[in-house]
Amino acid sequence: MKVIKFIDSKNCVWTNKKIKRYMSLFSGFIFTVATVFTAYTMKGVAGNLYLSDIDMFNSDAKISEVYMSKADNDKSTDDVIKLRVCNWEEYIDLGDWDEEELIELSNGTQIIGENSLIDDFEEWYYETYGQRVEVEYSCFGTNEDLYNQLTMGDTYDLVCPSDYMIMKLMAEDKLQEFSKDFYNEEDDNNYYINGVSPYIKDVFETNEIRGESWSKYAAGYMWGITGIVYNPEFVTYEEASTWSVFSNKKFNRQITLKDNVRDTYFAMLGIVYADLLMDEAFRNDEKYAEKLTEVMNDVSTETISEVQDLLQDIMDNIYALETDSGKADMVTGKIVANYQWSGDAVYSIDQADEDGLCLKFVAPKECTNLWFDGWVMLKSGINGNIKRQHAAEAFVNFLSRPDNAVRNMYYIGYTSVIAGGEDDTIFEYADWCYGAEEDEEEAIYYPVGYFFTGNNEDDEYIICASADQIDRQLYAQYPSEEIINRAVVMEYFNDEESKEINQMWINIRCFNINNVPIGVWVVIVVVFAIVSGWRIRKKIVEK
Amino acid sequence: MKKLRLNRKHLCIPYSVFLLCFVVAPLLVIIFYAFTNGEGKFSIDNLVGFFTSPNTIGTLFYSLCIAIVTTIVCLLIAYPIAYILARSKIKYKSTVVLIFVIPMWINFTLRITALKEILTIIEGNLAFHPFLNTIIGMTYDFLPFMILPMYTTLLKLDNSLLEAASDLGASPVKTFIKVSLPLSLPGIISGIVMVFLPSMTNYVVLDMLYNSTYIMGSLIGSYFSAYDWHNGSMIALILLIIILVFTLFTNKYEEDDHTGRGGVKI
Repeated sequence: MKVIKFIDSKNCVWTNKKIKRYMSLFSGFIFTVATVFTAYTMKGVAGNLYLSDIDMFNSDAKISEVYMSKADNDKSTDDVIKLRVCNWEEYIDLGDWDEEELIELSNGTQIIGENSLIDDFEEWYYETYGQRVEVEYSCFGTNEDLYNQLTMGDTYDLVCPSDYMIMKLMAEDKLQEFSKDFYNEEDDNNYYINGVSPYIKDVFETNEIRGESWSKYAAGYMWGITGIVYNPEFVTYEEASTWSVFSNKKFNRQITLKDNVRDTYFAMLGIVYADLLMDEAFRNDEKYAEKLTEVMNDVSTETISEVQDLLQDIMDNIYALETDSGKADMVTGKIVANYQWSGDAVYSIDQADEDGLCLKFVAPKECTNLWFDGWVMLKSGINGNIKRQHAAEAFVNFLSRPDNAVRNMYYIGYTSVIAGGEDDTIFEYADWCYGAEEDEEEAIYYPVGYFFTGNNEDDEYIICASADQIDRQLYAQYPSEEIINRAVVMEYFNDEESKEINQMWINIRCFNINNVPIGVWVVIVVVFAIVSGWRIRKKIVEK
Repeated sequence: MKKLRLNRKHLCIPYSVFLLCFVVAPLLVIIFYAFTNGEGKFSIDNLVGFFTSPNTIGTLFYSLCIAIVTTIVCLLIAYPIAYILARSKIKYKSTVVLIFVIPMWINFTLRITALKEILTIIEGNLAFHPFLNTIIGMTYDFLPFMILPMYTTLLKLDNSLLEAASDLGASPVKTFIKVSLPLSLPGIISGIVMVFLPSMTNYVVLDMLYNSTYIMGSLIGSYFSAYDWHNGSMIALILLIIILVFTLFTNKYEEDDHTGRGGVKI
């Protein structure tokens, strides 16, 4: 009988009383949700500060963490430090290599990734400093995603954004300075400062935001330049080695640009300023580097509109804007050239080699974009906790240990900023990758001293590579000094500038209503008239 | 104890909670962002901006074009198939229907990747026909959603009505126009709704088929990645309203024609 009662329709009748009761329940619920939501948003807006100790939305674990961070410094070493790291996807060696992947360098070092670098770090930290640390590792897809996550209130201690995002975060005073100990060259565990390439170190020291050099806040991770990957069967070196390749009618609909406003803007500037950039007087100017930076960071309104006009034309000449598909499309032959970061260029060329296709990489003769990704600590995450900061710095140092840098380079395919200092593992690895066989007939001597010691004449650091490496992986992995001399960092745009540039990008990408041919409008009007006429007629007939 | 007894209505609670947290609350946030500016003050600049910029209106136009053309193409392909399938007397009807449904089981990015290669073989260079490719991709993707609802409605079509129509002297064509078509209208309408709405925003298809023009979905995304939450929310809201109007219209149309002209009141 109970069952019958349950489905009894009387039970379902909405009496006034019931409605009132449910209404009050419902509105009460909405009120609660709204309060919770507002408070949560507020929490995000307030720069992710812990609002109060009674943080009702956080789990118990998080609450205890709040207390922990307050009283951390006087707790025993038994406590586990939680380090929240956010990195690009697939941007760290996760281990699990096959045995035949063992790298045996000629200096006797053997390198193989058994476990992920994250696990290895936790172990290494305990062995070295006698303190347990637990890495909470997560990933982001784009710099903008990371920035949005941070403004929404996600907390990280250590993140790895690209150059311009580091500058933006620096300008917004969101970053935690590295401690003095991090730069202490006496300490053998400070692998970063002892191993970083003098060239990269110099870039980090000379570039400043708000009067402070980057090196105070950021430690490099991977670096490279931008250029063009091309198929030498269809494109000559001369044609590919200029930004104007994108406007070259010969490759109509056979070349891709990046679906990324910054990279594409840079390439367009290279075309707009081509004459100036190739000018001998400009090149031999004493202040060439500074002037080049100024020119390639030109975001004046006139330049932006000039770029827009140029890009509008180029959109009719290129195959597409791509973010990732370009690599595969080169191999399948859909396109003959594409705009690429040097790291991805190495990957493309490797992949094409497997398919028996020879691809090459070239940095445009006008200038190229020097880019890098670097580790920065966030004030909101570290929150004055010295132990956590130490762990974060140690994480950077551990990744900078030459053998770990090699593991990362092997896994990711990009170039580490680490040169190794006293340790020659990194150079041996480059030699292992690209060095010529003993019996090679045509060998080239490729100096990379500028990267390893700061002196390109240094004959210790010359890679003897086989001639078929010319303009291929080696040139992309370690660009020659001549190219590096015209490499320029692209600075971040401030709010006003990025608004203009984004608007330019939207203008390019959107379909403009004024471009609709008049015939289409006529058709629309006619169709509309017929449909409404038919409806009216129908109504009259029915009446 | 008696008061705590579970009532049938209590079964709605899980869904209400879901609805509030994931539908109502985000919607309120979107409305909030849409009508505020960078300083957090009330503003209708975003709304005015949308309707005065030739780019945003153009994007709306372009999205509508894609959606309308896709829907028409799907309709033209799907209706005959659904009709033939539903009316035929073949033995393994459900197996044949399965063939149309199987593509839905495969992840659509995978299908579009395959389509990309096939189209490259046919066309040579995809970059010359971005609009055509998009329509093909969308049709390929959404066709099953059009076939299934029409098939189920046509399956229920009572044969005796058709016999009656021909007994009373109607030609097969007239029978189709006056009886079959009006009776299958609910299926057509739900098919249209299921194809039209997603094809307005499914920018993944455009991305994968190298059409670099923005549609509504990608335009919203571009604003969000430029940290402009206000304009992005406004466009999302406008899109929502367009969809709402469209749904109301189709619902009304459904009710209008559902009963009258077919000669049968269900």
